[in-house]
Formats: sequence, C-alpha cells, structure tokens
Amino acid sequence: MGNQKFDCESCPSIKRTAGLYVHIPFCEAKCRYCGFYSEPIKNHAPQRLVSAIIRELGQYDHIETFQTVYIGGGSPSCLPAEQLLRLIREITSHWPKPEEFTIEVNPGQVNKGIFSQLRTAGVTRISIGAQSFNPDELTFLGRRHSVGDTGRAVEMARQAGFENIGLDLIFAIPHSTLSSWKYSLCSAIDLGVQHISAYALTYEEGTPLQKSVEAGEVAPVDEETDRQMYETTIDELEKAGFKQYEISNFAKPGFECKHNLNYWANKPYIGVGPAAGAYWNGKRTLNISDIKKYIEAIEQGKTVIAESETPDNTQIACETAVLNLRRRCGIILDEFEKQTGFDAMKLFAEPIGRYQNLGLIEATDGRLFLTRDALPIADSVLCDFSTT
Amino acid sequence: MSTELIRNFSIIAHIDHGKSTLADRIMEVTGLVSNREAKAQLLDDMDIERERGITIKASAVTMNYEHAGKTYMLNLIDTPGHVDFHYEVSRALTACEGALLVVDATQGVQAQTVANAYLATESGAELIGVINKVDLPSAQPEITAEEIEHVLGIKKQDCFRISAKTGMGVRELLDAVVTLLPPPPDDGDKPTAALVFDCICDDYRGVICYVRVFAGSLSVKQKIRFMGVARTHLITELGKFTPKMSPVDRLSAGEVGYVIANVRQLSDVTIGDTITDDSKPAEKPLPGYVPPMQMVFSDFYPGNNTDYPNLRLAFEKLALNDASFSFIPQNSPALGFGFRCGFLGLLHMEIVQERLERENNIDVVQTAPTVSYEVLTTDGRTLKIDSPADLPDVTQIEELREPFVRLEVITGTDSIGGIMKLAESRRCKLLKTDYLSQNRVILEYKAPLAEIVYDFYDLLKGVSHGYATMDYEFTGFEVGDLVKINILVNKIQVDALSLIVHRSVAENRGRKMLVRLRKAIPRHQFEIPLQVAIGGKIIARESIKPFRKDVTAKLYGGDVTRKMKVLKRQREGKKRMKNIGSVQIPQEAFMSILDSSD
Repeated sequence: MGNQKFDCESCPSIKRTAGLYVHIPFCEAKCRYCGFYSEPIKNHAPQRLVSAIIRELGQYDHIETFQTVYIGGGSPSCLPAEQLLRLIREITSHWPKPEEFTIEVNPGQVNKGIFSQLRTAGVTRISIGAQSFNPDELTFLGRRHSVGDTGRAVEMARQAGFENIGLDLIFAIPHSTLSSWKYSLCSAIDLGVQHISAYALTYEEGTPLQKSVEAGEVAPVDEETDRQMYETTIDELEKAGFKQYEISNFAKPGFECKHNLNYWANKPYIGVGPAAGAYWNGKRTLNISDIKKYIEAIEQGKTVIAESETPDNTQIACETAVLNLRRRCGIILDEFEKQTGFDAMKLFAEPIGRYQNLGLIEATDGRLFLTRDALPIADSVLCDFSTT
Repeated sequence: MSTELIRNFSIIAHIDHGKSTLADRIMEVTGLVSNREAKAQLLDDMDIERERGITIKASAVTMNYEHAGKTYMLNLIDTPGHVDFHYEVSRALTACEGALLVVDATQGVQAQTVANAYLATESGAELIGVINKVDLPSAQPEITAEEIEHVLGIKKQDCFRISAKTGMGVRELLDAVVTLLPPPPDDGDKPTAALVFDCICDDYRGVICYVRVFAGSLSVKQKIRFMGVARTHLITELGKFTPKMSPVDRLSAGEVGYVIANVRQLSDVTIGDTITDDSKPAEKPLPGYVPPMQMVFSDFYPGNNTDYPNLRLAFEKLALNDASFSFIPQNSPALGFGFRCGFLGLLHMEIVQERLERENNIDVVQTAPTVSYEVLTTDGRTLKIDSPADLPDVTQIEELREPFVRLEVITGTDSIGGIMKLAESRRCKLLKTDYLSQNRVILEYKAPLAEIVYDFYDLLKGVSHGYATMDYEFTGFEVGDLVKINILVNKIQVDALSLIVHRSVAENRGRKMLVRLRKAIPRHQFEIPLQVAIGGKIIARESIKPFRKDVTAKLYGGDVTRKMKVLKRQREGKKRMKNIGSVQIPQEAFMSILDSSD
C-alpha cells in the first residue's frame, strides 16, 4: 500500500473557533457495547433535564459565537419532539446560525415531520447511527432499529432538505466477515450520504459486551481480519469519492465534520449536559455522570463539574500532537507552534526520527503526519507523543 | 585493660541454622538489648538482608559478660551464611580468635557448615561446635553431633546443645566462649596495627571503618596512616557498636570497634588495609586479604543514557560497602555506555541489583550473567574474558578455557539418583561420596562453573524436595570444547545476547534461546526476524509478528484525558527497554537466554 500524499483544504482553515456540545444521556434501551453515559428514558422526566441543560447553557451567555453545535448522546432523537425543539431553539436564539449544527439520530426514532422541524429550527447536519446493514449484526449489537429504518431515515432527511448527512458504521463485530463488512460499506455508499464514520468495535470497560468476552462467551474478530476490514474501508470509501480525514472519518470534499475537526485541532469547546466534557479557559472538565444528581446540582445552583484538570504547557503540546496526528493532514507545524509554543519537530525529535525511519511518519510541506501504514497501528506510534 | 579479658569471636552457620537468632540471644543475655529491642535479628542492618533472612555484611557488637567474678569484653563479629559470601566470612574470621559453628539439629550438617568450618580452620580460629534448635520435636541432636564429629572433627561430647530461640544453653555457651576461646595476644606496647575488616559509608559522617586492633592502640585526635593506600587522617571519633554507635576515647590492642577519620573519598579506604600511627608506624602491614574471586559478571546499562553519571555514583556507593563487588565502564555498540560488574555469585548479583533499584531511582537494563573465561590466543597471549562479546574471533583462539569448581552437595540418600542425573546433564564429574550418617551423604564433584552458577541450585532443590545443599570452591581453568552462540535481532548481531556454551549442547540451547526471545520481545510495528548463529552459520530462525491493529476507533472531546492516560501507560510499558536498531528489547529478554529448561 503506497503512502499517498495528502493535501487538506479544510483542516488548516480552522481559525479562532469554539464548539458547543450538548449531551443527551437518554436511550430507549442501552446497547450492549456502548460505553457512553446514558440511561433508559422511561425512568426520567425529559423536560426537567432539558430545563436543567438550558440553565447550564445560561452560564455561557457571554460567549459571542459558537462556530459549531453538536447534540449527541445517548440518543437525542428519543427525546419527545417538543423538548428537543425547545432545546434547539434555545441554542439558536443565543447563538444564531452556527456554521454547522449537527444532531445525532437513531434511525428507528425518526419520521418525516421531525426532520422538517429540525431543519426549520436551524439544524444543518444529521448524523445517523446506522452501525450495520446486516440484520444479525444489528441484533448482536442490541440495536432496536432495522436495516430498512436506516434507508428510510436517510431518505426522509434528504426530503426535508438536509444536504449534509452522515452515517456511523461499526466493523469487526463478532461473527462478521470481510464480505459482510463490505456489504455494509457499499450499502452506506449507495445511500448517497456525504459523510461516513467507520469505527472498529471497541470493548469498553464495564459494558455487558466486554464482560461476555471476558467470560469467553463472545470471541472478538481476529486482529488480521480487523486490519483487513479497516484497509478495505479506506480503499472502498476513497474509490467512492470519500476522503479519509481522520482515522475513522471519511467525507465527500467539503463535508468534513467541522465540530469534530475542532476537537482534533485541540481548540476550546463547551460541553453541557450530564457527563459532557469541555475544554475551556485551559481547563478540561467533565460533568456529573448521573442525570438525577446533575439536575439537582443545577436546580440548587451548584457546580455540575465532577472532574477538572489544567494541563501544563507540555501536556497541552502532547495532547495537541496526539489529536492532530489522528488527522490525515497531521500536525501543521507553524500552527502547532503558534498554538502551543513548541516546535513539534524538536519536542518530539526522538519518536519522529524513529518513526520516519520505519516509514510510519512523514514530514513534508510544513506538516508532520502518519503514513497510511501507520493508521491501523496508530496507538503504538501515538503513545510516544503522549509524554516528552 | 588486659587482653586477658577480651574474647573476639564469630558465629558461622549454614543459612537459616539460627545464627542471627543466637546473636540476638547473646546480646540479650549480656544485657545489651532487651527482647523488645531485638527487633528480630539486630545485626542485619539492611532491609534486604532482613527480608531475605540472610546476612550480607559483617557487623560487630561489643558486650560485657560476667564470669567467675571477672568482667569480660566480648566482641561478636557477624558473618554471612551463603555460598556467595565465603570471602566475607573469612574476613570476619581474621579479626577473631574463635568461632561458634552452629548446626541446626533438625537439618544436620549442611554444605555451608562444612565450607565455613574449613575457612575457620584455615584462618586459625578455634571452633566450638553448637547444636541449635534442640527444643524442636524433629531435632536429632545425637545424629547431628555424630555428623559434626565425622565431618568436622569436633568431638560429639564437646558440642553444646542449645535453643537460640528460647535461650536454653546460651549462658553455658558464653561461659565456654570465655573459658575455651583464647584471648587476643597482648601486643599493646608494639607499634599500632589495626585491621580494617569492613567499612560503611554514612551520608553525614563519611566513611566508618570497622577495625580490629592487633597491636598498639588508637585514640581520638591521633594522626593515623592507612598503610596500603598511604594516606594520613586525623581520628575524629572512635567507638564500639553496643549495638548503637557508642563513642570511646581509645581502642586498645585486642579490641574491636569503629574509626571515623574524616575519610570522604570512597577510594581512600581498602578493606583489609592496616591502620597505623603516622609518627610511629608499624614495620609492615598486617596480612590483608586476597582480593575476592569474582565468579559472575554482568553488564548494567542505564535504561536512559542520561542516567549514566547517576549509575556511576550509585555503583561507587555500593562498592564502598561491598568490597567484593566491582564495576568498570563499558561501551557496547548496541547498548551504549554502561558498566561491567563482577560478583561473587548469582545471589550476590541479585542483592546488588535490588539495592541499586531500591536505593537509587534508576532504570537499569542488565545483561545475562556470565562466568569469566581464559583465552590463549594464537599469538601466545592469555586473555581474561568476562563477557561473550569480548571473545576474539575463532581464528585467533588457540585455547578457550573455562572455570572449574569443586562442588559439594549434601543430601538425603533418597535423592541421590535425581542429583546424579542432574549433575551428569551439567557435565559434572563425581569425585567421591562420603556418608555423613546412615541417611545422608556428601557428593563431591568436579564441575564447570558455568553449568552450576545460574539455575543449578534451584534444580537441586527441586530434585531433593528442598533438602540438598551445595557449596563450591574455584579450582582452576581448563580447556573446554566451547562455542559462542550469537543472536541476530532484525538482522543485527546483539553482543549482549551472546552466550558461550559447550559444543555438545550449543544447537539445542540456541534454539531454546530463540523461543525465549520470541516470547520476551514484545510485538513491534514491523516483523522482527530472530536468528541464531553458531560459528557464523545460521542454525535456526524465528520471527516476532508485528502489530496488525492497534488504534483507538473514537477520540472526541470528552475522551481526551482518559485516552492520554491510556497512551501514557502504553508508553510506560516500553521503559526498561534498550533500543537496538529499531527494536526495543526489554530487560527480561536479556535474562531469558539463560533459561535452559524445556
């Protein structure tokens, strides 16, 4: 496999930006692989949570603009429509017309009407949790939607006027094969979406799936197949006109997710809602991961921050390097220096030299980036950038 | 004080036969410490010694003991009990007139009992036989006494039967120390001569020398000369260990104590040196020590090259408190700057290694220990080789000689078969067998040191269900049919992974080394070929498969802190590894090549 040159139009253009993330920790039912914080919605009063989130948003009134807004979860689409719209309108009334406004939806929880309402309310981008186009894989994952739901959701979103639609897919699901994965990929391509995220299934600590693996009831896909699936993903999607711009993310030109690019640029963002993370004023914080306690804290005027860390300058440089290197465009050296105060080539001279020799890292045109060969084993390289 | 009232003695014993417990009890009986203070074995003053239940350093305490209306000064000099530390035992014995030879009544005479008794006889010390643990139900004091008489020539009726644990018989034993052991010679009026038999380095006070005054005396403010290194110093403090450091004004002939004389430089003191008066020096120094015979060598490299100066400092400090340890700088093409270290044996090596890590926060990569070899080159020179890496090319070798030892194994008769088989597989030749008693036997072998120094002891314990003990003594170098095994990692020959072995087992060992290395070297981002070569010919190969998939699928805003921690942990795992070419080789890999088991 050649280490193709990569030129990136979208990444360097990120200026002084800030993103807003809203976490909706509700699901209809928890999927067995999911490690995010969420709870079944039937145990809670959604309007109380939405009110609390709106109150938390109030703390950021002084911020003039957010370039991007992203409502994720959990499953924001399981909120009652009026609550979801109330939240969106609240956001757009303070920060009208962000460059990108994404909402994650579960294909089993949408209809024509809601897409139109979202569109009217100011949402510009839909991210659909398709995961797989093989029914038995959806069943294995514990997903409640059907393959047909995904196709219908894409179609309805398009009819409602959305021109920026993304699909999330999962590969290396136990029992899946290279051909079953190719089938999912092609189905996603055929739906004509602008963005595809393809994630290898991760066995998150504490999930029912991880426990099943530990107990020997479920066998993960072997490493070699996992690798082949990933290589196939890159090849097939590039053939179909998608460009890989991050380890797991692919987009038609101009449709890269700006909100996520902001994370990989290690630029600031606000996060509201239970378990949401933020990086603001040099501080990384995590909100309380408990809906009840979160709501109580908001209602009593207390802080909802459960964890906080202020990375020092070297730490910031390391984090920036690790995040930047996940992008195909890698570290843009002069931006990196402006942002962190460090010359990346000097700060990481040892691993850079070593990995250049191994053909895993390249430095050209003012950029330092992982080669195609490095992508499937990126962590084994990136760990050497995690400290100096 | 007349030397008539002084007794200097040691306790010598096989490991675990109760030497340290007896020392504690003696200190209690003489009123030096209370039971509570004894803190389980006072003389062992290093953590590692106490944890491993062995005594590494000779220490000394001074006690008073009343006998027949007179007060005697007893100086007890402690000795180690393991095979590696013969040298320290003989050092302690030179400072004494007598020794208590302690044998566990439940175990009988063991290999180090015999070895230590020989050392005592050589140094001219009087021996008192002591049978310990007679209070235990499984004690066999009569059989033990017979063994002592048979092997060591001490009459069985002259042996003392005691329990160091309960204190039974200890008072009688101390009476015997006074009545049976000779006092030191009364040479107080001769020119001062004091033997430095040990020293320790204190961060605040500098070097503290343990001395035995043989002639004349030492006083505070006296100007003294270390005869060997020819340096003079002023004594700032003299004292005795009681067991804490208790200052005195003077140490007279026959006495044992410590000297502090503003000695800051570690290299200014040599153990075995003689201290004399600078203005009225002794004619000649006391017979010192033959430098210890180092049996095992290993290279130490700092995991991080910038730690090199720290490693040197750490070794300098260790060397002061351990005269039998040596280190010289090395520069390996593969491993960078480090040190070649010499040890008395494998246990000694492990102790140094542990102290290095415990007392200094330095990551160290250590190569597999090796014995030293002698090479006669084709141009007639004789070289001493402490590392397989230094072996000249085959074409320049006329003779390759390896060290041999006289190995003594004491065991129950029921495990003789297993031990014979083990010894045979390690090229050992049986010289003689001698029955200690009906059920126990001494086997004497001629053995190549390289075959018994690494794992032989563990295997011996295995085949004898823990009962066999061993001791060995270097006898000389002999020509052997030896070859060097070279290992190539990613096509680069790694000197630090070379091994010298007997030709008959070379191929088999080479293959095993590859299997071990394949398991010990972690996967990399590329395939790593491993090859083994004997005499320039590749005889086997293996490969370490590369990582195929190692990447976090999702990394977004809220995951950064957690993910950075995971990556840092992954990186931590690469510490204590040495980069050779582009391959990172962990510490375990260097050691794994010695594992010859199946």
